[in-house]
Amino acid sequence: MSALLELRNVTRRFGGLTAVDNVAFDVPEGAIYSVIGPNGAGKTTLFNLISALFQPNEGTIEFDGHQIHRAKTHQLVDFGIGRTFQNLAIFSHATVVQNLLVGLHHTLKANPLTAALFWGPAQREEIAARKRVEEIIDFLEIEHLRDMPVGLLSYGLQKRVELGRALATGPKMLLLDEMVSGMNSEETEDIARFILDIREELGVTVVMVEHDMGIVMDISDRIAVLNHGALIAEGTPAEISSDDAVVQAYLGKN
Amino acid sequence: MRTHHFVETYEKHIALSDNPVTWSWTGLLLVALVVFPFATSNYLIALATTVGIAAIGAIGLNILTGVTGLISLGQAGFLAAGCYTTALLIADYNWPPELALIAAGVVSALLSLVVGVPSLRLKGLYLAITTMAFSFIITHFLLYAESVTHGPYGVRIEDLGFLGLDLASPIQLYFLVLAVAVIAAIAALNILRTRVGRAFTAIRDHDIAARVMGISLTQYKLSAFVISSFFVGIAGGLMAFQFRFINVDIFNLLLSVEALAMIIVGGLGSVAGAILGAVFIVLLPEATREVIDLLPTGITSMLSTYIYEIRGLLTGLTIIIMLRIEPHGLIGLWRDIKRYWTHWPLSV
Repeated sequence: MSALLELRNVTRRFGGLTAVDNVAFDVPEGAIYSVIGPNGAGKTTLFNLISALFQPNEGTIEFDGHQIHRAKTHQLVDFGIGRTFQNLAIFSHATVVQNLLVGLHHTLKANPLTAALFWGPAQREEIAARKRVEEIIDFLEIEHLRDMPVGLLSYGLQKRVELGRALATGPKMLLLDEMVSGMNSEETEDIARFILDIREELGVTVVMVEHDMGIVMDISDRIAVLNHGALIAEGTPAEISSDDAVVQAYLGKN
Repeated sequence: MRTHHFVETYEKHIALSDNPVTWSWTGLLLVALVVFPFATSNYLIALATTVGIAAIGAIGLNILTGVTGLISLGQAGFLAAGCYTTALLIADYNWPPELALIAAGVVSALLSLVVGVPSLRLKGLYLAITTMAFSFIITHFLLYAESVTHGPYGVRIEDLGFLGLDLASPIQLYFLVLAVAVIAAIAALNILRTRVGRAFTAIRDHDIAARVMGISLTQYKLSAFVISSFFVGIAGGLMAFQFRFINVDIFNLLLSVEALAMIIVGGLGSVAGAILGAVFIVLLPEATREVIDLLPTGITSMLSTYIYEIRGLLTGLTIIIMLRIEPHGLIGLWRDIKRYWTHWPLSV
């Protein structure tokens, strides 16, 4: 497996705090890759660097031949990166369908003028988009919620809609930031199943930040462990769970 | 309740309405609007024309403020720019009125880029103040650049025709405004149901998520300004047709506030709401006058003395009451009534 995402010596500082310190790892294509670490380890900052919300002070991030460390956030979907957020970032007044349609934004072409006329290609692409949304609704098993305002759904379902919106961008790689935090075990299992399906059926590489060790150990191919912004271990779940540095970071020194 | 209703094609899913009842009522409303001027006085026709022009402006402002969430107190400026463009091009440069009207939209849209660029970094109150300042700059320019704008003397345009219509006739001007208003409403509804409208709403609801979904904030915030100001500029151009003598005095801060009141009272983010709000805010002073006239003579003459104060008071009061009891505006009220009706007798 070749590397889809390559991080080289990535450092990000906020004032005197080094949130991400000289981190380097490769995410192989088709992998389910987890980033774990105690609170404040720099996991979300790392995600924000990979999704070009921040730029690194040093180092390079390459994805599929694109230089993420120099990109603008709105170019990510064109490269093939979709992401969800730790705290919900859905459009809560809009319906499920409307949320998913926003995910298709970069695949559509209408400009204000053709949109105002709503004729020919502008109309055809909207019909095609609506059809594509139906496929995602089908994949995530939320047919019955189609026209519900997302704000009225349970937390677990809102997360699922957000996952659907990221999928709608047609990604090669999905960044999932703490998908299952705050979910009960049934909802967590649902999400784990969806993540596996996304990899198997859609061939999407998945990178996730996660606190729930159950799901991390069960479905990850490889794991990176951060502590105080630095990478302290990287390897398969079996290697990670027996790594001394990791045990120390989580449980403290004996 | 509507039952046995199945959507069978994706075309129907994205239709403006897939309900034949809605379409029939809309058709009936249009017929009524066409027949109305033949059965009434010139005064009421002129009033309806004012409502139509206000509705076009409100639809425009709603795209910027209601849908994209960028608050503007600069409506008077954009309106003035459109109004003066049309009037000056006709009076001083002999442009055909058809082109002069389109030019009003274009000039207003281009000017909006000037205020749109700083807006990329501003939000909420700061943006409101910036747009207000911009509107002051425009009216100052119009007042003092006398060689171009006639300054304090105002601009007069003679009787004019538009695509074979004689705009000196109130009824023919009414039909022009009605046609433009219908086109504006349809264009706005179409924009709102495509990727462009969804991008605007996404920016309003969660701008970081919008960026991650591939929406360029720069491109779409500026688009919102340009589209919105094009509508407002056209409304300004139509004002020039209606007044035929224009002066910078009417383009004051109160006009901008009234424009905001229209979309707040009508319902933020909704095209129908903007239209309802325009109807309401324009007709409120008229309705007040009618009511006062019905009272006993003694009270009428006393109230008539304070008529302007009473109108201002009522407008303010209405906004406060609407915000307190129905934040979704008149259109929200309408949806509640509709829901009650469809679920009756099970409604609560």
